[in-house]
Amino acid sequence: MPDTTKKQKLRFLPTGSALHRLSALLTLLLLIGVFAFTSPAFLSVNNGLTVLLQTSVIGLLAIGMTMVIITGGIDLSVGSVLALSGVIAGLLIKAGLPVAPAMVMGVVTGGVCGLMNGLIITKMRITPFVATLGMMMIARGIALQLTGAAPISRLGEAFGWLGNGALFRLVEMQDNGFPRVIFPGIPYPAILLVIMAILGAYLLQRRQIGRHIFSVGSNEEAARLSGVNVDRTNIWAYTASGALAGLAGMVLMSRLVTVQPNEGVMYELDAIAASVIGGASLMGGVGSISGSMIGAFIIGVLRNGLNMAGTSAFIQQIIIGIVVIGAVYIDQIRNRK
Amino acid sequence: MLDTTHTGAPLVQMRDIRKQFGGVHAVQGVSVDLFPGEVVGVLGHNGAGKSCLMRMLSGAMSLTSGDIVVNGTKVELKTPQDARKYGIETIYQTLALADHLDAAANLFLGRELKTRFGNLDETRMHSEARDALAQLNPNFKNLKDPVASLSGGQRQVIAIARAIYFQAKVLIMDEPTAALGPSETAMVADLTVKLKQEGIGIFLISHDLHDVFDLCDRVMVMNKGCNVGTFKIEDVNKDDILSLIIKGTLPDDWEPRGQNT
Repeated sequence: MPDTTKKQKLRFLPTGSALHRLSALLTLLLLIGVFAFTSPAFLSVNNGLTVLLQTSVIGLLAIGMTMVIITGGIDLSVGSVLALSGVIAGLLIKAGLPVAPAMVMGVVTGGVCGLMNGLIITKMRITPFVATLGMMMIARGIALQLTGAAPISRLGEAFGWLGNGALFRLVEMQDNGFPRVIFPGIPYPAILLVIMAILGAYLLQRRQIGRHIFSVGSNEEAARLSGVNVDRTNIWAYTASGALAGLAGMVLMSRLVTVQPNEGVMYELDAIAASVIGGASLMGGVGSISGSMIGAFIIGVLRNGLNMAGTSAFIQQIIIGIVVIGAVYIDQIRNRK
Repeated sequence: MLDTTHTGAPLVQMRDIRKQFGGVHAVQGVSVDLFPGEVVGVLGHNGAGKSCLMRMLSGAMSLTSGDIVVNGTKVELKTPQDARKYGIETIYQTLALADHLDAAANLFLGRELKTRFGNLDETRMHSEARDALAQLNPNFKNLKDPVASLSGGQRQVIAIARAIYFQAKVLIMDEPTAALGPSETAMVADLTVKLKQEGIGIFLISHDLHDVFDLCDRVMVMNKGCNVGTFKIEDVNKDDILSLIIKGTLPDDWEPRGQNT
């Protein structure tokens, strides 16, 4: 009898990935606490929204990256695919296409790049690292070649709507003729991130494709012998990652209201770091969207808070590097138990 | 050599199966058949081609040439799904479990139960898995733990449950008791007898001659990729089998032993 009660008690304690997510969440709260203490401007509504806005791009990339990492792969091409998607959308707008379909085509471009990744990995049997490294250079090369490395600007006000607009924004015209912002509103990129994260988590947890993604990462041969279409599952994951990179490209370029073909360099590393901090294992089979979102916000808050505290960009890189290694180390300790 | 006591049609006929990896002939012209309610032991030392032969039947490996006939029709087993469609289920030596998923997820892997909206039906999968596993091992409780944390015996039980849950007609068991303790081994033996009574045909790959003599109706011995003999179990003893496994031939003075007694 004492044995069973003890066991029941242990059930209440979070285990494994839940524990990791909890510790990541605590880290995030701790960071927010520290930065709020050191910089009074950090804990304002406006800065909160800025963090949301800045994190949404990394967050969108991290959703796709998490799916790929759970399959046991990696996608190094997302930063370049983001740029290429923006370039395609920008060029289509310049060619006279309205903004909405041009942006859809941008996302489709990302999806096609992801599909190519998936096909190269499954049909040509090239490891994900090499295949997506190749795609990283190819996509960046196409983006630079198409634009001559020059930014595309004057894309019209509508192009900036997605990245700069906000829901429930309340602006009041004052007597002196200047507008006064009563409530800055919830930025569209943040809403988009929440929608995509919920969709991603739903697909991973509640749908067959998610179950198959986990099984492929856990034991590819077992998945194949169990009748899982491993190739199709992998292709699906890389295509999703590419399409999300395209979407992130739309958000980023829209925020800048300019298409920059050399935007998004090294973003893949932030996305990978977010996934890993959130508990995804590069060995495959483990990971969650909620964890990766916490990871993305840890990186976002860290960047923002260090900026507010006046830390140089170089020191920021060092700190984020240490955080990534620390997160993986904690994961190792967890797995050894 | 071939016995003709079986009157029914064979469940499975493998005819002149060949498998080549580059210049290596892993399986060379092997023919074997399996009747309903029969256990056929597939023996041979490591690398004799027995696992290879069985993997071709379970759709995990393509064959270079030869025919597989299931219930009188020639079939092409290109993927494990194809084999399952014809009621051929396999318990792999490696168990083929996804370590990070729980027992129910593994049991239904590739054949998930879904709700009306196409979502995974976790409740039904768990209750079905609980019933299926309880039949094999009443003490199986930790259904929601990832299978990596389960014991070898429990993992084996999941692999077995997965094969029989879906109404197999032909069961391939590749070293099913290798990871098991004595009581669990006895459980697998009981299960084999029960499945046999239900009319399921079983190919049993085993190194344990004791098991083979207890459970099998016939044995087939492979040596260097060839079938060196298929016998009724009464006609051979352990020494004959060992001779076939090692030398590939019967002892010189051999005659069907079943007829003497």
